[in-house]
This record gives sequence, C-alpha cells and structure tokens, in this order.
Amino acid sequence: MNGKGSVLGIFANARLLVEAIPDIRGKATGRLEAYTPFPIHGIDRALGLRKSPVGGMVFLMGVVGALSGLLFELWANGVDYPILTAGKPYLSWEAFVPIMFEMTVLFACFTSGLGMLLLLNRLPLFRNPVLRSPAMALFTKDKFGLEVQLDERGPDAETVAALLRQSGAEAVERIEEAGPRAAASPEFLASVAGGIVLVCALAGLLTYWATKLFPVSVPMVHMLSQPRLDPERSDPFFRDGFGMRPPVAATVLRGSVPYLIASEEEAAVVQNPLPRTEAVLGRGRQLFTDHCAVCHGLLGNGIGTLTPAYGAKPANLVAQKIIDLRDGQIHYVVRMGKNAMPSYAADLDDDQRWAAVHYVRALQRALNAKDEDIAR
Amino acid sequence: MNPDTDKKLAVAAASGLAGALATVAVCGWQRFWINWILWFVFLLTIGLGCLFLVALEHVVGARWSVPLRRVPERLSSLALLVGPASLLALFSLGTLYPWTRPESLKDPAVSGKAVWLNTRFFSARVVGCLLLWAVAYWILVRGSVRQDRTGDPRFNLRARRFAPLFMIIFAITITVVAFDWISSLEPAWYSDVFGVYLFAGTFLAGLAATSLAVLYLKRIGRLSQVGPDHLYNLGGFLFAFTVFWCYIGFAQYLLMWYANMPEEVFWYKERLAGGWGPLLVGLAVVHFLVPFLILIPRAAKSDPRFLFWTAALMLLSHWLDLYWMIFPAAGRSPLPGWPELCFGLLFVSGALLFIRGLLRRGSDMPAGDPFLGEGLEFRL
Repeated sequence: MNGKGSVLGIFANARLLVEAIPDIRGKATGRLEAYTPFPIHGIDRALGLRKSPVGGMVFLMGVVGALSGLLFELWANGVDYPILTAGKPYLSWEAFVPIMFEMTVLFACFTSGLGMLLLLNRLPLFRNPVLRSPAMALFTKDKFGLEVQLDERGPDAETVAALLRQSGAEAVERIEEAGPRAAASPEFLASVAGGIVLVCALAGLLTYWATKLFPVSVPMVHMLSQPRLDPERSDPFFRDGFGMRPPVAATVLRGSVPYLIASEEEAAVVQNPLPRTEAVLGRGRQLFTDHCAVCHGLLGNGIGTLTPAYGAKPANLVAQKIIDLRDGQIHYVVRMGKNAMPSYAADLDDDQRWAAVHYVRALQRALNAKDEDIAR
Repeated sequence: MNPDTDKKLAVAAASGLAGALATVAVCGWQRFWINWILWFVFLLTIGLGCLFLVALEHVVGARWSVPLRRVPERLSSLALLVGPASLLALFSLGTLYPWTRPESLKDPAVSGKAVWLNTRFFSARVVGCLLLWAVAYWILVRGSVRQDRTGDPRFNLRARRFAPLFMIIFAITITVVAFDWISSLEPAWYSDVFGVYLFAGTFLAGLAATSLAVLYLKRIGRLSQVGPDHLYNLGGFLFAFTVFWCYIGFAQYLLMWYANMPEEVFWYKERLAGGWGPLLVGLAVVHFLVPFLILIPRAAKSDPRFLFWTAALMLLSHWLDLYWMIFPAAGRSPLPGWPELCFGLLFVSGALLFIRGLLRRGSDMPAGDPFLGEGLEFRL
C-alpha cells in the first residue's frame, strides 16, 4: 500500500480542496484520500475512486441467501421433517417467501458490513499512520485534508508538497510509512478476543442475576395462558361443555380409508393384503407385544399378565377355534372388539392390524408345530 | 412542442369518446362504468401520487427536489381534472356496486357494512375527498406558482406547516379511494392493508409520471439544469417503492392464503382464475422483478434511457395492477375488447393533451423558491 508514506495537505475550506484535486490527480500517481469534517457531495467522483465492489458482493450474497433459504426449507419441510400447517401442501412456496426475504437481507447486510470492514478497509490494520498527525483533530472541526500516497513511479515527497502548496494548501505535512506495529500483533488480538469473551460472560451473568433478583417481567408463557381447548377437559366454549369435538359427520380422517365392512361374515372373504415377509412379521410381533400380549399372553395362549387381575378369560388365540377363523375375521374383531374385548381401531390402523394377524398365524403354527415344519 | 401533435391527440380523444359512448349502446352500462372507474382511478392515483411527492418534499425539507418540484405540481392537477369524472361515476353505483341493491343486504358481511356503504355517505365521501384535495392543491401548488412572481419565502413556511397535515389527509383519503371505488365492488371482501397497497401503487405512479415528464422536458431542451444526480434520486425512489409495492402486495396475499377464510380468499380465487392468474404472475414480473433488477446498478438510476423505460413500465404496470383489481369484479376475462381500447384512447390522449397544456404555461422550475439554488447545486 504505502511504499514511501504520504504527504498531507491542509486546506482552509472545501472549495479549495475540491479545486485542488484535479491538478494533483494529473501530476501525482499515488492514491488520494480526503479528510473532511462533513460529507462533500461529488468528492468521490473528483477523487476518481473506482466503483466500489460492495454492490456486486451484496447482490451475489443476497441471491445466495435467498437460494439457501429456499433450499433449506424445501429440505426441512419436504424431506427431513414435514410438518402439515393449516392443511397446506408441504412444499408451499408462499410460506417460504418470508424466510427467503429475511435470508436475503441477512446475507446482504452481513456481506456489506463485513465485506466493507474486513475486505475493503483492511480492518486488521489498526493504526493508519495518518491518524497520528495532529492535523487529524482539525479535520473534525474546520480544516480539510488531502492525503497523497507516494509510490515508486510518482514524484517524491518534496515535489508533492510543493504541488499541494501551489494548489492552495495552507500547510503540508509528511506522513511516514507505517511501521511493522501497524498490523495487529498476536498479543493485541488475543487481548481483544479475551476482552470480548469476558464482556459476554459478564453481560450474561448480570442479565441472569438481574432477572433472578428483580423479576420485573414474568417469563414468556403466552403459549400456556392463551385461550385454547384441551383434550379430555371440560370447556365452556361450546354449549355442551365438552372441549373435544366429535368428528364432523360424513368426513374422513386425513390419511385413513373408510372401513365399510359391516359384519364378521362379510369380513371373512377379505384377503390379507400384506406379504408374509420377515419385516411384516417383525412389525406384527412388535404390535402384538405392545397391544395384545397384555391380555392374550406373549404366546397368544390367553394367559396374559393382566388376566388374574381382570377376572375375565381372554380368547386363546392358538386354539383350533381361532385357527379356523379367516384372516379377515380376526382383522374385523381387532377393529370392532368382541365380547369383553374393546375396539382397537384407535390404536392400530388397517395395515398394523393385518401385520398383527400375520403374527398371530405364526404363533398358531409355532405352538401346534408338526414334524414337517422343522427345517431339515 | 408541436401543435400538430395536439391536434392528433384531440382527434384520438374524440374518437375514443365516440367509442366509449358506443359502448353504452352496444355493450350496456356495466361495461361502460367498469372502464370509467378503472381509468379515472388510474389518472386520479397519478395526480395524488404527484401531490404526495410535493408534500413529501415540504415535510422532510428536501432541497434536491426543488428544481423538479414544478413537474409533480403540474401533474397533481390531474387529481382535480378527474374530479368531475368521479362525480359522474356516482351514477355507476346502481349498476356496478352490489351493496346498493337491497338483496345484497341478506349477506351479513355486506349488511354489517351498511353504515359505511350507503349511497348518501359514499357520495359525501367522494365530494369531501375532492374538497380536501382541492384545498391541498390550493395551498401547496397554487402557493408555489404564486411564489414565482412574488418570491415570498413565507410560502415555504406555510407549506412546511401544512404538509404534515396533508400526510394525514392523504393517508385517510387514499384509503377511502381504495375501499370505496375498488374494494367495495365486492363488498363482502375486506383487507386492512388494501389502502396501503393502493398507496404503494399511487406513489409509484406519481414518481413514474414525474420521471417521464422530467425526462421529456429535458429532451426538448428544458430543465437542462437538472443533472444526473437529480435523476439518480428519482431512480432511487422508484427502486425503493417497487420493493415496497411487492412487499405490501405479497403481505396481503400471504395472510389470506394462510388463513384461507372463505370471505377473504374468494377475492383472490376470482383474480387467479382463468387468464387473471397468469396476469398476476406477469404483474409481479413487470411491476417488481424487472424494474428491481434494472435499477440495481448505480449508473442505471441516473441514465435517462434506463430511467425512461423503467418509469414507462411502472406506469403501465400500475394500470395493469388496477385492471387486475377492478375488472374481475365485473366478471370479465383479462382479454380487452374494443371498448377497453376506446377508453384507453380517450383517457390517455385526453390526459396527454391536458398535461401538454400544463407544460406550456408558466416556468419549469419554482423560480421564486429561496432553496432553488441549493437544489440545483445538489450533487450525490
């Protein structure tokens, strides 16, 4: 950057400064920098500053932000964890737009801020040598400065100083090249990082203690205290006093298929649609263990853990009477209940019941095993 | 300015008028009035947008816009020009507005609004809005023109005091325009943000018309002291408010889409059905996406050619926006017929004739304004 330091010209007013710039630009080759107590319209054009790359960076990162927002939501709600909201399709572009907008703004803001500070203003340069000049204080009051960087190709410091005087500078100052300490030393960076950690920890602890000792506002419990209907609780909202509503007449639960079989005889002709694979039998075993075994016993022989306390005698599923039933009939009984057995329609859906039926068949065969069932 | 052009425009307006009258005979009153409402609201919003721009300058004490101010000042008289048109439009209430019919009161969503939507109060609001705009015009625009002769700086103080009040008047009256003339075509529907949505389009239309007129005047050698830095600010305004328009429009759509309430979504369902859906997509492209992308680079905002075409596109898309809001209420498809073309001919050439007349009289800048010099010196 500054090979040989720079020369600082001090001007009495803005007009002198602006008028001096074209002359200096014509003769000196180094970079120009102006220091003024207030913004001067048009000075960036006069200084011949190149077009800032911040705009392009911000645009690019804004597009990246929008796309990453979109892709994340497509993945999150479409693939990883689909949540059904208000009956909308999982992939509703309308719902994604606000997030995309926020992500665009977030990426664009960070890019413009950090890109400007770190990339373009070379922020780790903590000490610009020109800041050590006593004239710097004047530039915040009533003087105007023009710094001309010296480089190998251009005129030397004396020539530039004379040039500045000629163009109307009332004083000229030589700024020496930045020393090696201009860049941040590791100790300095470490102390800055340590300071940030310390301040964060202190702020967190203070906030914690303050809210503990002076509980001015209660924690956010709006989700709990909002008016709402709880399951299995009475509620005056509806006239009948029930919080829960029965399903609306002539409607079907989302994802379910209406069960149209009216009797056990009708059910007898229905075939088990599931294949007898290891996966299905495994699932059936799990479901049987979870839901059926407590009464019918782990072996299906009617001796479950609940039986003595319950008093009634659950069916022995491996008896000939049940072996003679068709698959559809067992399926029907699980759904509708029989004698003392309640309906399991709410716990097991169609496919789960069919899987359980397969497992019951497996138990029956296992407990009435014949010689030819043993693999040779 | 070429007087031949004026003659051609007059002929075009006259033939448009003949076509508009023929619409009544051939297609009936409904087709006539829906076109009438569309076009007078279009011109009204341009005028009001310009009046808002003038008042905005006084509210914030802007200096850069002083040399340009005479342009929106002149254009704002469009709002008063269409005053008689809005009074005539009161005759459309029985044909076009369902709430005037007794059978519509069976719908509780309509009868609940009877306090607001009745012919007497509606007419009172139309007249009241016109009077308020006339007062604002008198104070802000006539005062400025008078200052050309007197150079009296007290005008600036008076305008600065009145302009904040006008902001309130404007907010209320533009909402009234949106609710009354557009939204009450389907009285069961309501949207809280509809007034803001129309405001976004209105301000854009005012800005676009101002930019077009400024560039036109510059091209014929007037307003030559207005430089690229002034144009840059107009471009920046257009850029900002095209985003604002899209933001508000989408906010209105998103909430209704999410809630999915029958009394709200029917309005959108009508406006997404048939050809209106693709038209809405096209509207998002020409009203937001294209101007947004065009105006991003700094150079484009101050380039007369880019600015001209973007402003023309904004004006066209504001018209499309109103078309999309108003015409589905009459159960029409988006394909225009000859009556629509005739009305376009009548109102466009009439408005151009009027504007050319305005541009002939008086000075192009507020010559008596003490801040004119400062405004001319404005650099980015």
